[in-house]
Amino acid sequence: MKRISYKMSFRKTLSLMLLFIALAFVLNSCYPGEELTYEDTDIVATVYDTEADFSTKLTYALRDTIARVDGDGNLEFEPEAADQQILDKIESELQAIGFTEAASYDVADVLVAAAISQSTWVGGGCYYGWYSYWYPYYGWCYPTYYTYDTGSLLIVMGDGDVPPPAGGGTVEKEGLWVAVINGLLGDNSSSTLNRVLSNIEQAFDQSPYLAEGK
Amino acid sequence: MKIKLIKFWQLLTVFALVLLFFSTGYCQKEQWYGSFTYSVSLPQGDTKEFTDEISWRGIGLDYRYVIDRAYSVGLFFGWNVFYERREGVSEVENGAIYGTSDRTLNLFPIMVNYHYYFGERKSIRPYVGINAGGYIVNQQFAIGIFLWEDDSWQWAVAPEAGVVIPVERDFGLIVNGKYNYAFTGETVFGEDMNNTFWQINVGVVWEP
Repeated sequence: MKRISYKMSFRKTLSLMLLFIALAFVLNSCYPGEELTYEDTDIVATVYDTEADFSTKLTYALRDTIARVDGDGNLEFEPEAADQQILDKIESELQAIGFTEAASYDVADVLVAAAISQSTWVGGGCYYGWYSYWYPYYGWCYPTYYTYDTGSLLIVMGDGDVPPPAGGGTVEKEGLWVAVINGLLGDNSSSTLNRVLSNIEQAFDQSPYLAEGK
Repeated sequence: MKIKLIKFWQLLTVFALVLLFFSTGYCQKEQWYGSFTYSVSLPQGDTKEFTDEISWRGIGLDYRYVIDRAYSVGLFFGWNVFYERREGVSEVENGAIYGTSDRTLNLFPIMVNYHYYFGERKSIRPYVGINAGGYIVNQQFAIGIFLWEDDSWQWAVAPEAGVVIPVERDFGLIVNGKYNYAFTGETVFGEDMNNTFWQINVGVVWEP
C-alpha cells in the first residue's frame, strides 16, 4: 500500500514539475517588450537656466545656417535640402510664443542657433534560435551584427545681453535654453523631416517658461 | 535578447533544483510540503511610480516544514515582472524629457517564512504568516535609443494571509495575499526606491 502511494506521489510530483516547466516557458514567452517604431525612438530633451528671467527676453536673432558636427567634433556649414524648413519651423515657434525678430544680431535679447549631428552605430550580439533551448552547449547562438543611424538636432538659445569684452575678441555666452532632439533615422527622409518638425514643436511646448512676460 | 534568456535559464535552474528538493522531501517526510502559485501583483508607492500597470506575470514556489500541527517555517522563491510603456513628458531638475519609455522590473524574491495555521489538519485551514528576505531586482529604463539597467539586492518583508484547501489526501489548493515591502533599494539613476506591491497568489499544494 505504501509503495502504491509512493508511485502515485512521484507521478503527481512529476506532473506538477512538468506543469511548472510549461508555465515557466509560457511566462518567458509572455515576457514584456513591444515593437518600436522609428517615432518611438524619438526623444526631446530641454534644459534651461533656472535663474534666467525670460520675461526680459523679447527679441531674437536666428542664425541662417545649420551647423553640422563632423566625426571629430568640428562644425561645418554646408546647407542641405531640409535646412530651411527646420529653420522656418524654429522661427515660427519662437514667434508663436511671443518673441519678435530683432533688427540686427547685435541688439537681439537672445541668439538662437541650430546644429545637426549624425552617427552610425554598429552593434553585435547573440540571437538565440528557438531550438537553441535544446542545444547542449550553453551560450550557443547565432552571431548577429547590425548598424543603425541616429541623428540629433541641437537648438541653442544664448543670452544676447552679455556685453562684448572691452578689449575686443570673442566672449563665451551663457546658454539660456538648449533643446536636443534625437532619434533613429528612418529610410524615408520626408517622414524623418516630419518627425523633426513635430519634435521642434514639442521642444517649445514643454518649455512654457520661454513665453513668460510676452 | 541575450540578457533576457540568460535570466530565464538562471531562474529555471534555480526552480528546477528547488522542485527536485521538493520531490525528495515530499517522498520521505510528510511534514514537508510545497506549493506552486501564479501571482498577480498590484504596484504601490515607488513601484507604481515606475510602472503603473498590474503585473500579470508572476510565479512562486514555497517549501514549508511543519513544526507541529499549527506552525511552519519555510523558504519562498518567486519571479514577478512589472512592465509599462509610457509616452509623455517627464520633468527633470532643470528641464523636461519627452519620449516613449519602456520600464521593466524583474523581481526574484528569496525569503524565509513563518506561518501559523488555524483549524485542523486535513480541513480548510486559514493561515497568517510573515516572509522576510529580499529580492534580486533587475530594473531597466529605456527611452529613445538609450537604456539604463541596474541589478541589485533589496531587503524586504512580506506579511501574508491565506487559506489552504485540501482536495485529495496529499494535494490541495492555496490562495493567499501578500503585501511586499522593500526597505532598501534605488533606481537606475541612484535615487532611493522602496519597491512595494500587493500580491494575490493562487496555486496548488502538495501534502496540505
